[in-house]
Amino acid sequence: MKRSELSEFEVEEEGFKLKIKRDINGVPSAISRGSNPPFPLAESAPVPPPPQAATAPATSLAGAEELGITYIKSPMVGTFYSAPSPESKPFATVGTKVTENTPVCIIEAMKIMNEIQAETKGTVVEILVENGQPVEYGQRLFKLKQD
Amino acid sequence: MIQKILIANRGEIALRIVRACRELGIKTLAVYSEADVQSLHVQLADEAICIGGPKSADSYLRADRIISAAEIADVDAIHPGYGFLSENAKFAEQCESCNIKFIGPKSKSIRMMGDKSIAKETVKKAGVPIVPGSDGPVESEAEAVKIARKIGYPVIIKAVAGGGGRGMRIAHNDVSFAKEYHVARNEAEKAFGNGAVYVEKYIEKPRHIEFQVLADAHGKVVHLGERDCSVQRRHQKLIEEAPSPFLTSDLRKKMGKAAVRAAEAAEYENAGTIEFLVDAKGNYYFIEMNTRIQVEHPVTEEVTGIDLIKQQIRVANGEKLDFDQGDVTFNRHAIECRINAEDPARNFVPSPGTIGLYYAPGGHGVRVDSHVYSGYSIPPYYDSMIGKLICYGSTRKIALERAYRALSEYLVRGIKTTIPLHKAIMADPIFIEGKATTAYMEEFMGRTPPDLFS
Repeated sequence: MKRSELSEFEVEEEGFKLKIKRDINGVPSAISRGSNPPFPLAESAPVPPPPQAATAPATSLAGAEELGITYIKSPMVGTFYSAPSPESKPFATVGTKVTENTPVCIIEAMKIMNEIQAETKGTVVEILVENGQPVEYGQRLFKLKQD
Repeated sequence: MIQKILIANRGEIALRIVRACRELGIKTLAVYSEADVQSLHVQLADEAICIGGPKSADSYLRADRIISAAEIADVDAIHPGYGFLSENAKFAEQCESCNIKFIGPKSKSIRMMGDKSIAKETVKKAGVPIVPGSDGPVESEAEAVKIARKIGYPVIIKAVAGGGGRGMRIAHNDVSFAKEYHVARNEAEKAFGNGAVYVEKYIEKPRHIEFQVLADAHGKVVHLGERDCSVQRRHQKLIEEAPSPFLTSDLRKKMGKAAVRAAEAAEYENAGTIEFLVDAKGNYYFIEMNTRIQVEHPVTEEVTGIDLIKQQIRVANGEKLDFDQGDVTFNRHAIECRINAEDPARNFVPSPGTIGLYYAPGGHGVRVDSHVYSGYSIPPYYDSMIGKLICYGSTRKIALERAYRALSEYLVRGIKTTIPLHKAIMADPIFIEGKATTAYMEEFMGRTPPDLFS
């Protein structure tokens, strides 16, 4: 079984924050979770979140969409790689213009390297994940500006 | 040593598993769909990974994404819960080949018992009575009719790949058999992708009595008594209780031994359930084995004092069962009511939506296994069960009165639920006398005005 080489991993979406840290011996150390509103950790008695489910996101964990901004989201669960191989240049950097078929990254799942295409047009303004980072379904990978 | 478990499920069972892991000091990883972001177990688990869109086929049934999540989060084991991939032999196999412990039986046991006709053959060889029927799927209508006449009408035509009460048709004579045979084949093809059917004797007004078994990986198999699940609507269980008001201790011993033999024949490990039909004379027949933990497991927990989810984890960890059959005792009577978000006054139409005020009952002898809370939005993509109310007492009478009392306190505002239906059943003389068979619900609904449930 492939074990991830990651040592620290953090993802933050609206209402959800996850941070996993592992020391070099592969033993998980600080694992914390928090959510908005603040949600207790494992030790204390669980408190149900206050009524906000009327606006509970049934769609993806999207925040307020800025005008002309879109995101490339992960279509699978796996490990994000920014380049086709460790020696190559990244598929996309800030400023790269992409169209629907432009490959933007690789997501490795179960030992298979999947080339992910942009599936939209735009210019990369921000890369939201790091090389080697585990990603979940729907996680935002690239922030694009559209004309 | 299992240190982190991925919970490949949702709702109340996912919460149940998180709780057991907490008590054992095991870390939990919840995988969830986009529709379950606000789910209680997702909030309580140590880690959580989104694995897809709202539909089950795009999330909870995506074995590839679940295993991928297991790998990136470095889990030791996966608990599949019930439904979804819990009885998917291929998924269990994938876990085995990825070196992730599947908390349940070996994939070969799942495969063996997943085919209804192979299951019957297997337990028949172990001396377990089975329902008289065709030895395997029928090849043609002509063969099917011959078998039906040999067994004697009425007969039931069942899908080989079916389960959960689906894919079954009853015929009372040659004429209706011809029609029902073709209907059954078509339904089976559509629902399960496999049109093969087999024919069995139809036992009239049976009781559905199932036995909980538990086996370790070192060859020990025990049974933890029965659950009477006769109160069903369209083959979906509504109420389960232990012990069965029908079984004598003699019959319990006989059936318990048969259940253990059936599990041994399946080379079983971990928790499972052997289902029997029992007629009015006390003849019992094996119908199927469920190779997973079941919805109604709390009933057995309250009567035996044994925590089944913890035992599942212990067995998966390679530990031996630390008790023998002789150590299992049955104290108290327990009864479970499945609370569904359905309107019993309107033919059980599903009632999704947002729960306003939610107040669960408590007090002596009351257990509530539910993942919902005030303000929770029930996603429309999954089953309608929002919780289980389990009440227990030293006698059946106390358990029933307690259930009636607890149901009266149980508040779920904003949606319709089956709470009023359960209250009416707890107060019904036939149910109180312990006379309910699988024919009970239809008869009860027939004489009860629907507005009693609103």
